[in-house]
Amino acid sequence: MALIAIEICMGSACYLLGAQDLLEAIESLPPEKKAKIDLRGATCLKACGSGPNIKIDGVLMSNITPEQLLNLINEKIDR
Amino acid sequence: MTQVTEVVKLRRRVLTEIARLTFSGELIENISDILNTVVTEDGPRYRCCIHKERAVLQERIKLALSQPADVSLEAAAQNAVNGIIADMPVVQVMPIACDQCPIDKFLVTNACRNCLAHHCINSCPKKAIMVVQNRAYIDKTKCIECGLCKKSCPYGAIIEVNRPCEGACDLKAITAGSDRRALIDYDKCVQCGGCKTACPFGAIIDRAEIVQLIQALKSGKRVYAIMAPAFIGQFGPKIHASQVIGALKQAGFHEVYEASFGADIVTIEETAEFLGSVPERRPFMTTSCCPAFVGMVEKHLPDIEHIVSSTVSPMIATGKVIKEQDPEAVTVFIGPCIAKKAEAERSRGVIDLTVTFEELACVLVGAGINITAMTEADYKSMASLTANDFARAGGVIQAVIKHAEKANAGANIKPHRAEGLSNCKMALLQMKAGKSDANFFEGMACSGGCVGGPGVLTNPKVTGKLVENYAASSEYKTATDNQNVVETLNKGGYWHTK
Repeated sequence: MALIAIEICMGSACYLLGAQDLLEAIESLPPEKKAKIDLRGATCLKACGSGPNIKIDGVLMSNITPEQLLNLINEKIDR
Repeated sequence: MTQVTEVVKLRRRVLTEIARLTFSGELIENISDILNTVVTEDGPRYRCCIHKERAVLQERIKLALSQPADVSLEAAAQNAVNGIIADMPVVQVMPIACDQCPIDKFLVTNACRNCLAHHCINSCPKKAIMVVQNRAYIDKTKCIECGLCKKSCPYGAIIEVNRPCEGACDLKAITAGSDRRALIDYDKCVQCGGCKTACPFGAIIDRAEIVQLIQALKSGKRVYAIMAPAFIGQFGPKIHASQVIGALKQAGFHEVYEASFGADIVTIEETAEFLGSVPERRPFMTTSCCPAFVGMVEKHLPDIEHIVSSTVSPMIATGKVIKEQDPEAVTVFIGPCIAKKAEAERSRGVIDLTVTFEELACVLVGAGINITAMTEADYKSMASLTANDFARAGGVIQAVIKHAEKANAGANIKPHRAEGLSNCKMALLQMKAGKSDANFFEGMACSGGCVGGPGVLTNPKVTGKLVENYAASSEYKTATDNQNVVETLNKGGYWHTK
Protein backbone atom coordinates (compact mmCIF):
# COMPACT_ATOMS: atom_id res chain seq x y z
CA MET A 1 0.00 0.00 0.00
CA ALA A 2 1.30 3.44 -0.92
CA LEU A 3 2.02 5.86 1.91
CA ILE A 4 -0.49 8.62 2.63
CA ALA A 5 1.21 11.86 1.55
CA ILE A 6 0.46 14.69 3.98
CA GLU A 7 1.86 18.18 3.62
CA ILE A 8 1.20 20.55 6.53
CA CYS A 9 1.65 24.24 5.83
CA MET A 10 3.91 25.78 8.47
CA GLY A 11 3.73 29.31 7.00
CA SER A 12 3.04 32.17 9.42
CA ALA A 13 -0.68 32.47 8.58
CA CYS A 14 -1.30 28.76 9.14
CA TYR A 15 0.96 28.62 12.20
CA LEU A 16 -1.18 31.37 13.74
CA LEU A 17 -4.32 29.31 13.16
CA GLY A 18 -3.05 26.06 14.64
CA ALA A 19 -0.75 24.24 12.18
CA GLN A 20 1.39 23.12 15.11
CA ASP A 21 -1.61 21.34 16.65
CA LEU A 22 -2.07 19.39 13.39
CA LEU A 23 1.57 18.34 13.46
CA GLU A 24 1.28 17.25 17.10
CA ALA A 25 -1.89 15.26 16.31
CA ILE A 26 0.07 13.24 13.75
CA GLU A 27 3.09 12.89 16.04
CA SER A 28 0.82 11.43 18.71
CA LEU A 29 -0.47 8.63 16.45
CA PRO A 30 0.59 5.05 17.31
CA PRO A 31 3.76 3.97 15.42
CA GLU A 32 1.93 1.53 13.13
CA LYS A 33 -0.28 4.32 11.82
CA LYS A 34 2.55 6.83 11.63
CA ALA A 35 4.50 4.34 9.48
CA LYS A 36 1.81 4.66 6.82
CA ILE A 37 2.21 8.41 6.51
CA ASP A 38 4.73 10.37 4.47
CA LEU A 39 4.69 13.66 6.41
CA ARG A 40 6.18 16.84 5.01
CA GLY A 41 6.15 20.50 5.94
CA ALA A 42 5.31 23.22 3.42
CA THR A 43 6.06 26.94 3.56
CA CYS A 44 2.88 28.01 1.75
CA LEU A 45 -0.01 26.20 0.07
CA LYS A 46 -1.41 29.45 -1.38
CA ALA A 47 -4.64 29.55 0.61
CA CYS A 48 -3.47 31.78 3.48
CA GLY A 49 -6.87 33.32 4.21
CA SER A 50 -8.47 30.04 5.24
CA GLY A 51 -5.81 28.20 7.23
CA PRO A 52 -4.65 25.97 8.64
CA ASN A 53 -4.10 24.25 5.30
CA ILE A 54 -2.91 20.76 4.46
CA LYS A 55 -2.53 18.67 1.32
CA ILE A 56 -3.49 15.05 1.69
CA ASP A 57 -2.55 12.90 -1.32
CA GLY A 58 -2.28 16.08 -3.33
CA VAL A 59 -5.71 17.46 -2.40
CA LEU A 60 -5.78 20.83 -0.64
CA MET A 61 -7.94 21.01 2.50
CA SER A 62 -8.48 24.26 4.38
CA ASN A 63 -9.53 25.25 7.88
CA ILE A 64 -8.66 21.79 9.21
CA THR A 65 -8.91 20.84 12.88
CA PRO A 66 -6.78 18.10 14.48
CA GLU A 67 -9.90 15.88 14.86
CA GLN A 68 -10.79 16.25 11.17
CA LEU A 69 -7.22 15.43 10.18
CA LEU A 70 -7.15 12.28 12.30
CA ASN A 71 -10.52 11.19 10.84
CA LEU A 72 -9.19 11.68 7.31
CA ILE A 73 -6.11 9.62 8.12
CA ASN A 74 -8.15 6.82 9.69
CA GLU A 75 -10.49 6.71 6.69
CA LYS A 76 -7.53 6.40 4.32
CA ILE A 77 -5.92 3.69 6.41
CA ASP A 78 -9.13 1.67 6.70
CA ARG A 79 -9.81 1.83 2.98
CA MET B 1 -3.85 19.09 23.73
CA THR B 2 -5.08 21.59 21.23
CA GLN B 3 -3.54 24.98 21.89
CA VAL B 4 -5.30 26.94 19.19
CA THR B 5 -8.96 26.75 20.16
CA GLU B 6 -11.82 28.41 18.29
CA VAL B 7 -11.62 31.32 20.74
CA VAL B 8 -7.96 31.82 19.89
CA LYS B 9 -8.61 31.50 16.15
CA LEU B 10 -11.37 34.08 16.27
CA ARG B 11 -9.15 36.56 18.13
CA ARG B 12 -6.31 36.05 15.67
CA ARG B 13 -8.54 36.36 12.61
CA VAL B 14 -9.85 39.71 13.87
CA LEU B 15 -6.37 41.04 14.60
CA THR B 16 -5.07 39.84 11.21
CA GLU B 17 -7.96 41.46 9.33
CA ILE B 18 -7.44 44.74 11.18
CA ALA B 19 -3.72 44.61 10.35
CA ARG B 20 -4.37 43.82 6.69
CA LEU B 21 -6.82 46.72 6.30
CA THR B 22 -4.45 49.09 8.11
CA PHE B 23 -1.54 48.19 5.83
CA SER B 24 -3.68 48.73 2.74
CA GLY B 25 -5.00 52.04 4.09
CA GLU B 26 -8.67 51.01 4.03
CA LEU B 27 -9.30 50.51 7.74
CA ILE B 28 -11.55 53.52 8.30
CA GLU B 29 -13.78 52.93 5.23
CA ASN B 30 -13.95 49.16 5.51
CA ILE B 31 -13.80 48.44 9.24
CA SER B 32 -17.37 47.10 9.33
CA ASP B 33 -16.49 44.53 6.63
CA ILE B 34 -14.73 42.59 9.39
CA LEU B 35 -18.15 41.89 10.89
CA ASN B 36 -19.01 39.94 7.72
CA THR B 37 -15.66 38.38 6.89
CA VAL B 38 -14.96 36.96 10.34
CA VAL B 39 -18.55 36.00 11.26
CA THR B 40 -20.12 34.46 8.15
CA GLU B 41 -23.66 33.26 7.49
CA ASP B 42 -22.55 29.62 7.30
CA GLY B 43 -20.89 29.63 10.70
CA PRO B 44 -19.39 28.09 12.68
CA ARG B 45 -21.83 29.41 15.33
CA TYR B 46 -20.37 30.12 18.75
CA ARG B 47 -23.36 31.97 20.15
CA CYS B 48 -27.16 31.92 19.97
CA CYS B 49 -27.26 33.74 16.64
CA ILE B 50 -25.23 35.67 14.11
CA HIS B 51 -26.47 38.99 15.52
CA LYS B 52 -25.09 38.34 18.96
CA GLU B 53 -21.81 37.19 17.42
CA ARG B 54 -21.52 40.41 15.46
CA ALA B 55 -22.40 42.49 18.51
CA VAL B 56 -19.61 40.77 20.46
CA LEU B 57 -17.28 41.21 17.51
CA GLN B 58 -17.89 44.98 17.46
CA GLU B 59 -16.67 45.20 21.06
CA ARG B 60 -13.72 42.98 20.25
CA ILE B 61 -12.71 45.19 17.33
CA LYS B 62 -12.90 48.38 19.40
CA LEU B 63 -10.66 46.90 22.08
CA ALA B 64 -8.28 45.65 19.40
CA LEU B 65 -8.06 49.29 18.33
CA SER B 66 -7.55 50.44 21.97
CA GLN B 67 -10.74 52.50 21.82
CA PRO B 68 -13.68 52.70 24.27
CA ALA B 69 -16.95 50.86 23.69
CA ASP B 70 -19.09 54.01 23.43
CA VAL B 71 -17.71 55.27 20.10
CA SER B 72 -18.76 54.05 16.65
CA LEU B 73 -16.60 51.54 14.79
CA GLU B 74 -15.62 54.16 12.22
CA ALA B 75 -14.67 56.72 14.86
CA ALA B 76 -12.69 54.04 16.70
CA ALA B 77 -10.82 53.20 13.50
CA GLN B 78 -10.15 56.89 12.83
CA ASN B 79 -8.72 57.40 16.34
CA ALA B 80 -6.51 54.31 16.09
CA VAL B 81 -5.19 55.38 12.68
CA ASN B 82 -4.34 58.74 14.24
CA GLY B 83 -2.24 56.88 16.81
CA ILE B 84 -4.55 57.48 19.75
CA ILE B 85 -4.62 54.92 22.56
CA ALA B 86 -7.61 55.52 24.83
CA ASP B 87 -6.96 55.93 28.55
CA MET B 88 -8.39 52.64 29.82
CA PRO B 89 -7.29 49.46 31.60
CA VAL B 90 -5.26 46.98 29.57
CA VAL B 91 -7.33 43.91 30.49
CA GLN B 92 -11.10 44.25 30.20
CA VAL B 93 -14.26 42.17 30.35
CA MET B 94 -16.61 42.52 27.38
CA PRO B 95 -19.93 42.40 29.30
CA ILE B 96 -21.90 41.31 26.24
CA ALA B 97 -19.55 38.36 25.64
CA CYS B 98 -19.54 37.14 29.25
CA ASP B 99 -21.77 34.07 29.51
CA GLN B 100 -22.67 34.74 33.16
CA CYS B 101 -21.31 31.39 34.35
CA PRO B 102 -23.04 29.96 37.44
CA ILE B 103 -21.92 31.21 40.80
CA ASP B 104 -23.18 28.23 42.80
CA LYS B 105 -20.06 26.39 43.69
CA PHE B 106 -21.64 23.00 44.39
CA LEU B 107 -24.38 21.55 42.22
CA VAL B 108 -26.33 18.29 42.51
CA THR B 109 -26.48 16.61 39.10
CA ASN B 110 -28.80 14.04 37.49
CA ALA B 111 -26.51 11.32 38.82
CA CYS B 112 -28.16 11.70 42.25
CA ARG B 113 -30.18 8.56 43.00
CA ASN B 114 -31.84 9.72 46.22
CA CYS B 115 -30.22 6.78 48.02
CA LEU B 116 -31.10 5.65 51.53
CA ALA B 117 -27.80 6.49 53.16
CA HIS B 118 -27.88 10.20 52.29
CA HIS B 119 -24.21 10.76 53.01
CA CYS B 120 -24.57 14.27 51.61
CA ILE B 121 -27.18 15.29 54.18
CA ASN B 122 -25.25 13.65 57.00
CA SER B 123 -21.95 15.26 56.00
CA CYS B 124 -23.29 18.80 55.76
CA PRO B 125 -22.23 20.81 58.84
CA LYS B 126 -24.81 23.52 58.09
CA LYS B 127 -27.83 21.29 57.39
CA ALA B 128 -28.09 22.94 53.97
CA ILE B 129 -29.08 19.80 52.07
CA MET B 130 -32.59 18.38 51.78
CA VAL B 131 -34.40 16.11 49.35
CA VAL B 132 -36.62 17.89 46.84
CA GLN B 133 -38.41 16.03 44.03
CA ASN B 134 -36.55 12.79 44.66
CA ARG B 135 -33.14 14.42 44.52
CA ALA B 136 -30.75 16.14 46.92
CA TYR B 137 -31.02 19.90 46.90
CA ILE B 138 -28.51 22.42 48.30
CA ASP B 139 -30.00 25.48 49.99
CA LYS B 140 -27.72 28.27 48.77
CA THR B 141 -28.61 30.52 51.68
CA LYS B 142 -27.13 28.02 54.14
CA CYS B 143 -24.29 26.51 52.05
CA ILE B 144 -20.79 27.60 53.08
CA GLU B 145 -19.12 25.86 50.12
CA CYS B 146 -17.04 23.52 52.29
CA GLY B 147 -17.27 20.69 49.74
CA LEU B 148 -17.91 17.87 52.26
CA CYS B 149 -21.07 16.78 50.40
CA LYS B 150 -19.14 16.40 47.17
CA LYS B 151 -16.58 14.21 48.91
CA SER B 152 -19.25 12.13 50.64
CA CYS B 153 -21.38 11.14 47.61
CA PRO B 154 -20.54 7.59 46.46
CA TYR B 155 -21.92 8.36 42.97
CA GLY B 156 -19.92 11.55 42.54
CA ALA B 157 -23.27 13.21 41.85
CA ILE B 158 -22.30 16.55 43.39
CA ILE B 159 -19.95 18.60 41.28
CA GLU B 160 -17.84 21.62 42.01
CA VAL B 161 -18.25 24.46 39.52
CA ASN B 162 -15.58 27.11 39.27
CA ARG B 163 -15.86 30.20 37.13
CA PRO B 164 -12.72 29.87 34.99
CA CYS B 165 -11.84 33.57 35.30
CA GLU B 166 -12.11 33.52 39.09
CA GLY B 167 -10.14 30.29 39.27
CA ALA B 168 -7.35 31.79 37.18
CA CYS B 169 -7.02 34.97 39.22
CA ASP B 170 -4.55 34.49 42.07
CA LEU B 171 -5.37 37.93 43.45
CA LYS B 172 -9.17 37.60 43.64
CA ALA B 173 -9.48 40.64 41.40
CA ILE B 174 -12.28 39.24 39.23
CA THR B 175 -15.68 38.38 40.65
CA ALA B 176 -19.25 37.92 39.54
CA GLY B 177 -21.31 41.10 39.55
CA SER B 178 -24.99 41.20 40.58
CA ASP B 179 -25.97 40.05 37.05
CA ARG B 180 -23.34 37.27 37.27
CA ARG B 181 -21.20 38.95 34.64
CA ALA B 182 -17.49 39.12 35.46
CA LEU B 183 -16.21 42.35 36.97
CA ILE B 184 -12.56 43.28 37.40
CA ASP B 185 -11.54 45.22 40.51
CA TYR B 186 -8.71 47.37 39.18
CA ASP B 187 -7.50 48.17 42.69
CA LYS B 188 -6.49 44.53 42.88
CA CYS B 189 -5.79 43.61 39.22
CA VAL B 190 -2.19 43.65 37.98
CA GLN B 191 -3.09 42.95 34.31
CA CYS B 192 -1.33 39.57 34.22
CA GLY B 193 -3.80 38.20 31.66
CA GLY B 194 -4.55 34.96 33.52
CA CYS B 195 -8.31 35.46 33.21
CA LYS B 196 -8.05 36.21 29.48
CA THR B 197 -6.38 32.88 28.84
CA ALA B 198 -8.83 31.05 31.10
CA CYS B 199 -12.17 32.33 29.75
CA PRO B 200 -13.57 29.73 27.33
CA PHE B 201 -15.94 32.34 25.86
CA GLY B 202 -13.16 34.75 24.96
CA ALA B 203 -14.99 37.42 26.93
CA ILE B 204 -11.89 38.94 28.48
CA ILE B 205 -9.40 40.67 26.25
CA ASP B 206 -6.47 43.03 26.36
CA ARG B 207 -6.47 46.18 24.30
CA ALA B 208 -4.10 46.06 21.35
CA GLU B 209 -1.86 48.69 19.79
CA ILE B 210 -1.36 47.08 16.38
CA VAL B 211 -2.98 49.80 14.28
CA GLN B 212 -0.92 52.44 16.05
CA LEU B 213 2.18 50.30 15.36
CA ILE B 214 1.39 49.80 11.67
CA GLN B 215 0.75 53.54 11.25
CA ALA B 216 4.17 54.24 12.79
CA LEU B 217 5.76 51.72 10.41
CA LYS B 218 4.05 53.38 7.45
CA SER B 219 4.97 56.92 8.57
CA GLY B 220 8.65 56.61 7.68
CA LYS B 221 9.69 57.21 11.30
CA ARG B 222 12.52 55.08 12.64
CA VAL B 223 10.69 52.30 14.47
CA TYR B 224 12.79 50.04 16.72
CA ALA B 225 11.62 46.59 17.81
CA ILE B 226 12.66 45.41 21.27
CA MET B 227 12.23 41.63 21.22
CA ALA B 228 11.73 39.90 24.56
CA PRO B 229 14.11 36.91 24.95
CA ALA B 230 11.15 34.49 24.82
CA PHE B 231 10.85 35.23 21.08
CA ILE B 232 12.93 32.17 20.19
CA GLY B 233 10.65 29.51 18.70
CA GLN B 234 7.47 31.61 18.95
CA PHE B 235 6.80 31.68 15.21
CA GLY B 236 7.52 27.97 14.70
CA PRO B 237 10.01 25.68 16.44
CA LYS B 238 12.30 25.62 13.40
CA ILE B 239 12.31 29.38 12.75
CA HIS B 240 15.77 30.94 13.21
CA ALA B 241 16.21 34.26 15.02
CA SER B 242 17.55 35.82 11.81
CA GLN B 243 14.32 34.97 9.97
CA VAL B 244 12.25 36.80 12.59
CA ILE B 245 14.54 39.81 12.33
CA GLY B 246 14.35 39.68 8.53
CA ALA B 247 10.54 39.62 8.69
CA LEU B 248 10.49 42.60 11.07
CA LYS B 249 12.75 44.62 8.75
CA GLN B 250 10.54 43.72 5.80
CA ALA B 251 7.51 44.96 7.75
CA GLY B 252 9.24 48.33 8.08
CA PHE B 253 11.14 48.18 11.38
CA HIS B 254 14.31 50.26 11.24
CA GLU B 255 16.29 48.17 13.73
CA VAL B 256 15.72 45.15 15.98
CA TYR B 257 17.09 45.04 19.53
CA GLU B 258 16.91 42.12 21.90
CA ALA B 259 15.51 43.05 25.32
CA SER B 260 18.17 40.70 26.68
CA PHE B 261 20.68 43.49 25.97
CA GLY B 262 18.81 45.43 28.65
CA ALA B 263 18.79 42.27 30.77
CA ASP B 264 22.61 42.37 30.87
CA ILE B 265 22.43 45.97 32.13
CA VAL B 266 19.80 44.92 34.69
CA THR B 267 21.99 42.01 35.87
CA ILE B 268 24.91 44.33 36.62
CA GLU B 269 22.78 47.07 38.20
CA GLU B 270 20.60 44.72 40.22
CA THR B 271 23.60 42.81 41.58
CA ALA B 272 25.21 46.09 42.69
CA GLU B 273 21.94 47.20 44.23
CA PHE B 274 21.64 43.91 46.12
CA LEU B 275 25.20 43.92 47.43
CA GLY B 276 24.79 47.56 48.49
CA SER B 277 21.50 47.18 50.35
CA VAL B 278 21.13 43.62 51.73
CA PRO B 279 21.22 43.04 54.65
CA GLU B 280 22.17 46.54 55.85
CA ARG B 281 19.17 48.48 54.54
CA ARG B 282 16.66 45.68 53.96
CA PRO B 283 16.57 42.02 54.97
CA PHE B 284 16.02 40.78 51.43
CA MET B 285 15.44 42.04 47.91
CA THR B 286 13.29 40.89 45.01
CA THR B 287 13.66 41.15 41.25
CA SER B 288 11.73 43.80 39.35
CA CYS B 289 11.52 42.57 35.73
CA CYS B 290 8.05 40.99 35.93
CA PRO B 291 5.54 43.87 35.98
CA ALA B 292 2.68 41.69 37.26
CA PHE B 293 4.84 40.56 40.19
CA VAL B 294 5.86 44.15 40.98
CA GLY B 295 2.19 45.18 40.72
CA MET B 296 1.21 42.39 43.10
CA VAL B 297 3.65 43.64 45.75
CA GLU B 298 2.53 47.27 45.28
CA LYS B 299 -1.18 46.47 45.48
CA HIS B 300 -1.30 43.50 47.83
CA LEU B 301 1.78 43.80 50.06
CA PRO B 302 2.29 47.59 50.20
CA ASP B 303 4.06 47.43 53.56
CA ILE B 304 7.03 45.62 51.99
CA GLU B 305 7.16 47.58 48.73
CA HIS B 306 10.69 48.71 49.57
CA ILE B 307 12.04 45.17 49.11
CA VAL B 308 11.45 45.30 45.34
CA SER B 309 14.59 46.21 43.42
CA SER B 310 14.50 49.76 42.06
CA THR B 311 16.41 48.65 38.96
CA VAL B 312 14.36 49.16 35.79
CA SER B 313 13.15 46.20 33.75
CA PRO B 314 15.14 44.93 30.75
CA MET B 315 12.46 46.44 28.48
CA ILE B 316 12.95 49.92 29.96
CA ALA B 317 16.76 49.59 30.01
CA THR B 318 16.79 48.67 26.31
CA GLY B 319 14.35 51.49 25.51
CA LYS B 320 16.62 53.97 27.30
CA VAL B 321 19.65 52.78 25.32
CA ILE B 322 17.78 53.27 22.02
CA LYS B 323 16.33 56.69 22.92
CA GLU B 324 19.78 57.85 24.05
CA GLN B 325 21.25 56.96 20.65
CA ASP B 326 18.28 58.15 18.59
CA PRO B 327 15.93 60.59 20.33
CA GLU B 328 13.55 60.41 17.33
CA ALA B 329 13.16 56.65 17.69
CA VAL B 330 9.76 55.00 18.07
CA THR B 331 10.36 52.12 20.51
CA VAL B 332 8.12 49.06 20.32
CA PHE B 333 8.33 46.28 22.88
CA ILE B 334 7.34 42.88 21.51
CA GLY B 335 6.89 40.15 24.08
CA PRO B 336 4.80 37.39 25.65
CA CYS B 337 3.37 39.76 28.24
CA ILE B 338 0.17 41.73 28.69
CA ALA B 339 1.24 43.45 31.92
CA LYS B 340 4.09 45.06 29.95
CA LYS B 341 1.46 47.15 28.16
CA ALA B 342 0.60 48.79 31.47
CA GLU B 343 4.27 49.09 32.47
CA ALA B 344 5.06 50.79 29.15
CA GLU B 345 2.13 53.14 29.65
CA ARG B 346 3.70 54.29 32.92
CA SER B 347 7.00 54.86 31.10
CA ARG B 348 5.81 56.64 27.96
CA GLY B 349 8.73 58.40 26.38
CA VAL B 350 10.89 55.31 26.90
CA ILE B 351 8.57 52.71 25.37
CA ASP B 352 6.08 54.06 22.84
CA LEU B 353 4.12 50.94 21.91
CA THR B 354 3.75 47.37 23.19
CA VAL B 355 2.50 44.32 21.32
CA THR B 356 2.49 40.61 22.13
CA PHE B 357 4.06 37.90 19.96
CA GLU B 358 0.56 36.88 18.95
CA GLU B 359 -0.28 40.43 17.87
CA LEU B 360 3.03 40.76 16.02
CA ALA B 361 2.36 37.54 14.08
CA CYS B 362 -1.06 38.94 13.09
CA VAL B 363 0.63 42.16 11.94
CA LEU B 364 3.13 40.22 9.82
CA VAL B 365 0.44 38.01 8.28
CA GLY B 366 -1.64 41.14 7.65
CA ALA B 367 1.37 42.57 5.80
CA GLY B 368 1.57 39.39 3.71
CA ILE B 369 4.89 38.38 5.25
CA ASN B 370 5.61 34.68 5.75
CA ILE B 371 8.42 34.14 8.27
CA THR B 372 9.08 30.59 7.07
CA ALA B 373 9.92 32.00 3.63
CA MET B 374 12.60 34.38 5.02
CA THR B 375 16.21 33.39 4.30
CA GLU B 376 18.33 32.36 7.24
CA ALA B 377 21.42 34.47 7.90
CA ASP B 378 24.27 34.44 10.39
CA TYR B 379 23.09 35.99 13.61
CA LYS B 380 24.56 36.13 17.07
CA SER B 381 22.59 37.32 20.06
CA MET B 382 23.50 40.83 21.23
CA ALA B 383 23.35 39.62 24.84
CA SER B 384 24.93 37.08 27.15
CA LEU B 385 23.83 33.54 27.92
CA THR B 386 22.52 34.58 31.33
CA ALA B 387 20.52 37.50 29.87
CA ASN B 388 18.83 35.30 27.28
CA ASP B 389 17.82 32.97 30.08
CA PHE B 390 15.74 35.77 31.68
CA ALA B 391 12.89 34.31 29.60
CA ARG B 392 12.82 31.19 31.77
CA ALA B 393 11.88 30.99 35.44
CA GLY B 394 15.05 31.00 37.53
CA GLY B 395 16.99 32.89 34.86
CA VAL B 396 17.34 36.18 36.73
CA ILE B 397 18.67 34.44 39.84
CA GLN B 398 21.28 32.60 37.75
CA ALA B 399 22.35 35.79 35.99
CA VAL B 400 22.79 37.72 39.24
CA ILE B 401 24.66 34.86 40.96
CA LYS B 402 26.99 34.30 37.98
CA HIS B 403 27.74 38.01 37.85
CA ALA B 404 28.27 38.27 41.61
CA GLU B 405 30.65 35.31 41.48
CA LYS B 406 32.99 37.40 39.33
CA ALA B 407 33.30 39.82 42.25
CA ASN B 408 33.62 36.85 44.64
CA ALA B 409 30.31 37.79 46.19
CA GLY B 410 28.26 34.87 44.88
CA ALA B 411 28.10 33.26 48.31
CA ASN B 412 26.33 36.30 49.76
CA ILE B 413 23.26 35.54 47.69
CA LYS B 414 20.78 33.02 49.07
CA PRO B 415 18.18 32.70 46.36
CA HIS B 416 14.55 31.69 46.46
CA ARG B 417 11.97 31.90 43.72
CA ALA B 418 8.34 31.25 42.82
CA GLU B 419 6.09 31.17 39.77
CA GLY B 420 2.47 32.25 39.92
CA LEU B 421 1.32 35.30 41.85
CA SER B 422 -0.22 33.48 44.80
CA ASN B 423 2.94 31.37 45.22
CA CYS B 424 5.01 34.56 45.06
CA LYS B 425 2.80 36.24 47.63
CA MET B 426 3.00 33.27 49.98
CA ALA B 427 6.79 33.05 49.66
CA LEU B 428 7.21 36.77 50.35
CA LEU B 429 4.99 36.56 53.45
CA GLN B 430 7.17 33.73 54.75
CA MET B 431 10.34 35.67 54.05
CA LYS B 432 8.87 38.74 55.72
CA ALA B 433 8.04 36.64 58.80
CA GLY B 434 11.65 35.46 58.86
CA LYS B 435 10.74 31.85 58.13
CA SER B 436 13.33 31.57 55.35
CA ASP B 437 17.03 32.41 55.28
CA ALA B 438 16.82 33.40 51.59
CA ASN B 439 17.73 37.01 50.86
CA PHE B 440 17.14 37.29 47.11
CA PHE B 441 13.77 36.47 45.58
CA GLU B 442 12.79 36.07 41.94
CA GLY B 443 9.09 36.55 41.33
CA MET B 444 7.41 35.49 38.08
CA ALA B 445 3.66 35.79 37.53
CA CYS B 446 3.55 33.20 34.76
CA SER B 447 4.24 29.52 35.16
CA GLY B 448 7.62 28.74 33.61
CA GLY B 449 8.53 32.42 33.47
CA CYS B 450 8.05 34.67 30.42
CA VAL B 451 7.90 31.74 27.97
CA GLY B 452 4.59 30.88 29.71
CA GLY B 453 3.10 34.33 29.17
CA PRO B 454 -0.42 34.98 27.84
CA GLY B 455 0.82 36.48 24.55
CA VAL B 456 2.81 33.50 23.31
CA LEU B 457 2.21 31.38 20.21
CA THR B 458 4.10 28.21 21.07
CA ASN B 459 3.89 25.67 23.89
CA PRO B 460 6.09 26.95 26.76
CA LYS B 461 7.75 23.54 27.15
CA VAL B 462 8.98 23.74 23.56
CA THR B 463 10.10 27.36 23.73
CA GLY B 464 11.73 26.87 27.13
CA LYS B 465 14.07 24.30 25.60
CA LEU B 466 14.69 26.40 22.47
CA VAL B 467 15.50 29.49 24.57
CA GLU B 468 17.95 27.39 26.59
CA ASN B 469 19.72 26.28 23.38
CA TYR B 470 19.76 29.81 21.98
CA ALA B 471 21.17 31.17 25.24
CA ALA B 472 23.90 28.52 25.18
CA SER B 473 24.92 29.71 21.72
CA SER B 474 25.56 33.27 23.00
CA GLU B 475 29.05 34.64 22.44
CA TYR B 476 29.18 36.07 25.96
CA LYS B 477 28.69 33.91 29.03
CA THR B 478 27.89 36.57 31.64
CA ALA B 479 26.82 40.21 31.61
CA THR B 480 30.30 41.71 31.92
CA ASP B 481 31.63 39.63 29.00
CA ASN B 482 29.30 41.76 26.87
CA GLN B 483 31.59 44.67 25.93
CA ASN B 484 28.77 46.74 24.41
CA VAL B 485 26.91 46.60 27.70
CA VAL B 486 30.00 47.52 29.72
CA GLU B 487 30.64 50.49 27.39
CA THR B 488 27.01 51.59 27.67
CA LEU B 489 27.23 51.52 31.46
CA ASN B 490 30.57 53.39 31.42
CA LYS B 491 28.85 56.24 29.60
CA GLY B 492 26.70 56.71 32.68
CA GLY B 493 22.91 56.80 32.64
CA TYR B 494 20.36 56.17 35.33
CA TRP B 495 18.91 52.68 35.56
CA HIS B 496 16.55 52.94 38.51
CA THR B 497 12.91 53.84 38.94
CA LYS B 498 13.35 55.86 42.11
